[in-house]
Amino acid sequence: MNSNGQALLQVEQVSKHFGALAALSRVDLEVRDGEVFSLIGPNGAGKSTLFNVITGLYPPTAGQVRFLEDEITGLSPEAVNRKGIAKTFQITNIFPEISVYENVRVAVQSRSVEQGRPASLWRATDVRDEAMALLTTFHIAERADELAQNLSHGEQRYLEICLALGTRPRLLLLDEPTAGMTPGETRHATELIRRVASERALTVLLIEHDMSVVMGISDRVAVLHFGEKIAEGTPGQIRNDPKVIEAYLGGAD
Amino acid sequence: MEYIADILLPQMLHGLVFGAALGLLALGLTIIFGLLGVMNFAHGELFMLGAYAGIAVIALTQSFWAAVILAPACVAVVGALMEICTLRPLYKRPPLYGLILTFGLALAFREIVREIWGGDMRRIVEPISGSVPLLGMMYPKYRLFLLGAALLLLLGIWLFFTKTRAGIIVRAAVQDAEMLDGLGVNVPRVFTLTFAGSSALAALAGLLLAPIFTVVPTMGVEMILLAFIVVILGGMGSLGGSVLAALVIGEAQSLFSLWMNPQRVAIAIFAIMILVLIVRPRGFFGREGVLE
Amino acid sequence: MTGVWFSWRIWAVFGILAVLPAFPFMTGYRLGLAFDALLFGVIAMSLDLLMGYTGLVSFGHAAFLGLGAYSTALLVERGVRSIWLCLLAAIVVVGLYALLVSYFATTRRGIYFALLTLIFAEVVYTFFRYTMAFGGSDGIQGLEPAQLVPGMPASAVDTPLKNYYLVLALLLLAYLVCRTLVESHFGKVLVAIRENEDRARFLGYNVRRYKMTVCVISALLTGIAGALYPIRLANATPDLLLWTVSGEVIVMVMIGGIGTLAGPVIGGAFFMVLQEEVSSYAPKIYQALGLSADKGVGVHLLIIGVILVLIVLFMPRGLLGAVRAARVRAPRLPAPVAAGGAK
Repeated sequence: MNSNGQALLQVEQVSKHFGALAALSRVDLEVRDGEVFSLIGPNGAGKSTLFNVITGLYPPTAGQVRFLEDEITGLSPEAVNRKGIAKTFQITNIFPEISVYENVRVAVQSRSVEQGRPASLWRATDVRDEAMALLTTFHIAERADELAQNLSHGEQRYLEICLALGTRPRLLLLDEPTAGMTPGETRHATELIRRVASERALTVLLIEHDMSVVMGISDRVAVLHFGEKIAEGTPGQIRNDPKVIEAYLGGAD
Repeated sequence: MEYIADILLPQMLHGLVFGAALGLLALGLTIIFGLLGVMNFAHGELFMLGAYAGIAVIALTQSFWAAVILAPACVAVVGALMEICTLRPLYKRPPLYGLILTFGLALAFREIVREIWGGDMRRIVEPISGSVPLLGMMYPKYRLFLLGAALLLLLGIWLFFTKTRAGIIVRAAVQDAEMLDGLGVNVPRVFTLTFAGSSALAALAGLLLAPIFTVVPTMGVEMILLAFIVVILGGMGSLGGSVLAALVIGEAQSLFSLWMNPQRVAIAIFAIMILVLIVRPRGFFGREGVLE
Repeated sequence: MTGVWFSWRIWAVFGILAVLPAFPFMTGYRLGLAFDALLFGVIAMSLDLLMGYTGLVSFGHAAFLGLGAYSTALLVERGVRSIWLCLLAAIVVVGLYALLVSYFATTRRGIYFALLTLIFAEVVYTFFRYTMAFGGSDGIQGLEPAQLVPGMPASAVDTPLKNYYLVLALLLLAYLVCRTLVESHFGKVLVAIRENEDRARFLGYNVRRYKMTVCVISALLTGIAGALYPIRLANATPDLLLWTVSGEVIVMVMIGGIGTLAGPVIGGAFFMVLQEEVSSYAPKIYQALGLSADKGVGVHLLIIGVILVLIVLFMPRGLLGAVRAARVRAPRLPAPVAAGGAK
């Protein structure tokens, strides 16, 4: 772990209600600079809802979210991304009918000089190097000219991560990055994520169901159950926590 | 006082009837869009086909009531064919294609009807004539029947969507079509049946409204524009929102007609829509978190 | 700038178009047809920016066209002679209208864009059709030709030949604008929005602003074309604002090839010629079949509808798209050894 202990993301007493359904109840969370923090819990525990609140898909019913001391509660998704938070989606959400290269290019160019300026109507910065570097890191550079929808599932999950990384975030939110991968692919992906995170001094907030991933990669873990945080600590502490064991007893995850 | 009884009240009731019919149309649009992901630009033409099918049936059987059964049935078949032959190939494609295709179908249906029946105005005679005293005025019996029929239909649809298993599934799928896969449902069949059902509803509305309005090949065009406004106001995916918005628009249309000529009425309705969009961009019941 | 955007093919086409009037078969009548073809080519190409590149269908492009036409007509009717003033007026009017429409039409996702552009256009149509100050259903007739140099009657654009070259110049300009836009940073974002607008938002793009911008640009190009429209028949009528006109432009894009820029121009030409032929032959066919000729009035709409359905089902990439796909599939010949390489 190369965390310096400074709080990067602060989730304070966040609740989210959908009508009568309380998806999140008074969740407190702090993610520190440089760490890999995992969020686990049975299905329906509210993990993705929390991600959605953080990244601006919808505002919380109560509570605040702070990033680097800035309040980001209720900001739009594009604003949250501009602050330095990038997210991958649980169900692969790429640009299907353009090439893999074009996919990453549009992510990388979002940070280029013309962005948001009139010059963008006739100019385009050459971002080839940066885009190809990302693709190379995730072993999909050879597929650069293929249509994104033609990639295998595992390759698409990697593309998802490339898209998020292209926006040069400080905090990376990964929503079940290894979903649908084979055990071999999962091990590979886990290692890759850990390496990339440390190389780029990224902070990672991760939702995962695969316990081997969680235990192997996380500095700290929090457990959500029915929208509430029921435990938090190091992987070792969580593994032995009776409340956590009981929460998972209902179904094998 | 007389103004209220003789003019205002009847007009308000007309508005209710019109709003209910509009609601039936808008419901069909919303359901199809939510379930199949297609905005059916030809929906107004299905409405129109209902009236013309009615004319055909009446010509054969001399019975309006036979038409009430047969005309929607015929149009349901047309709808099913439409879904199977032209819409099904498009589900995997971007939504743009469905829009363009149904727009093309709308054009084609209109002109085919014009070829067969000509462009002149037709009439269907009211099957129930005469008026009854109601709330201090004389109200046409047929319109009363219409009101009852429309409300009954809406009630039936509400019951279908809340009490029957099929209805609950379809309603949930309207909000999230992907869940159907996990339920072991024969998805293509559900799609076709739902489309046929919404076509039949539109046709029935067209037939029932025909004795009040004139029957022309373009009668669906005005209705579909209003239905679009209803859908915009009600929020897609909200069945209750659609009905409520339809009643509001129907009522507004009816009342404004008392005081303005048709062109101004259209602009007034449009202005209402703009106002609502400014105040509530998502419409009455737009859903959060769908990046609507 | 992104370098040379014109392939030699494009230069060749413009070259041919430039010398087209010299050919003997180009009578005044045919030049008028060519004018229509190129003018609607510009409109279709501008719509392709929205449809092909951003994935938004506008069912209200007729409004941009009609507003441009009426801007010119109203000014000329009041004695304005300068064509530049007319263009400026069109830009202002259409620009404001487009800002208004796109503001509301982009509040929610793509489908609402289609609905709202349609509804707005219908209101504009209703407004012009029933307002006597604008000529009501007859529109504004009997316009004097506008002049390139105000006050110099010799520069009046008053012959089919001059009309043609003016529109050709517009086509060149419009193509330059569209091609530059599409190759730029902005254009790449449009494509991303088309492919997955939610994802684009999560990459930090203000999708709504992009949609509004491309809508206004597309509208302005169409509006400028619309401003030139009255020079052909010396009038501006509400028929220009009918939603069927919007539909016709969509057909042009689809026939020619959505998302190709050049395709819609081809589609526009194809469509105008087809329409001419059908409307001259249809009454004769009807008479030959013993049917009443006035039923033939709507036939061309029927044909449009059927064409749309068939294209969407069987040839969604349009003519140009099909040609390109065929080329890609053709067996690769060994690359020439000499210098130059691929295009």
